[in-house]
Amino acid sequence: VTATAEGLRAFIGWTADEREDAVEAGHLRRFAEAIGDPDARWLDEAPPTFTASFLTEPPPLPPGWDRGSSWLNAGDRFELLAPIRAGDVIRSRTVLSDIYEKSGRSGELLFLVYETEFRDARGRLAVRHRGTRLRR
Amino acid sequence: MTPRVGDELPELVKHPTTRQLVQYAGASGDLYEMHYDQEFARALELPGVILHGLLKTAFLGELATKWSRDWGRLTVLDATYRGMDLPRAPLRCRARVSAVRGRNVDLEVWTEDARGGRTTIGTATIESRT
Repeated sequence: VTATAEGLRAFIGWTADEREDAVEAGHLRRFAEAIGDPDARWLDEAPPTFTASFLTEPPPLPPGWDRGSSWLNAGDRFELLAPIRAGDVIRSRTVLSDIYEKSGRSGELLFLVYETEFRDARGRLAVRHRGTRLRR
Repeated sequence: MTPRVGDELPELVKHPTTRQLVQYAGASGDLYEMHYDQEFARALELPGVILHGLLKTAFLGELATKWSRDWGRLTVLDATYRGMDLPRAPLRCRARVSAVRGRNVDLEVWTEDARGGRTTIGTATIESRT
């Protein structure tokens, strides 16, 4: 770990503001059209990556962060625990869960890992997401 | 449906356009200019606007859910982006059964560009209903 990354690791654990998003039928339809998936089931049920639309992208940075100016997406993981349907209200909270550097062809690369849990109105965990973002 | 290790799924070939990137930006709320503003993308030393990684993951989600529609439920979809993809180029979305663990079927999933390079690699798990 470089000295820079070591300093930035103090930001690990920072939590973004909670979000509340209603799952609207029109949004499901527009999302399915945008990804080009013709399956009619997505008119009522959220397709696997739908909760990405309830993530703040590009991702939020903690107050005081001053490193880099652009983003690349390095990876996404979805754990799909319960279906999300039109009419659901989803609450989510994103935690900056890890920060690390790796050597790449163009020098040191800085990765930020964000973890988000999406819960339905009864508090049941529906989707767990982990996003790895490259800060440049 | 009895998936076996090594079985390859019917591939899905996508033909993303800049229009689709704009559509995805709007539907997902990810308005990062890298995906629809050519000047912005070139200023970041990219060859032009590039596909959202999450759009590629959505394509892999379509591949896995279409294949398992009648017998299972997708429970994990995990993607790592290794290369950038540009609009107006065909993108092959492929998968192969890597393990069968009781009711769970694990897949190796990937996207492949026109030169055969794997620009996204990942895994998926489908839980069988029976």
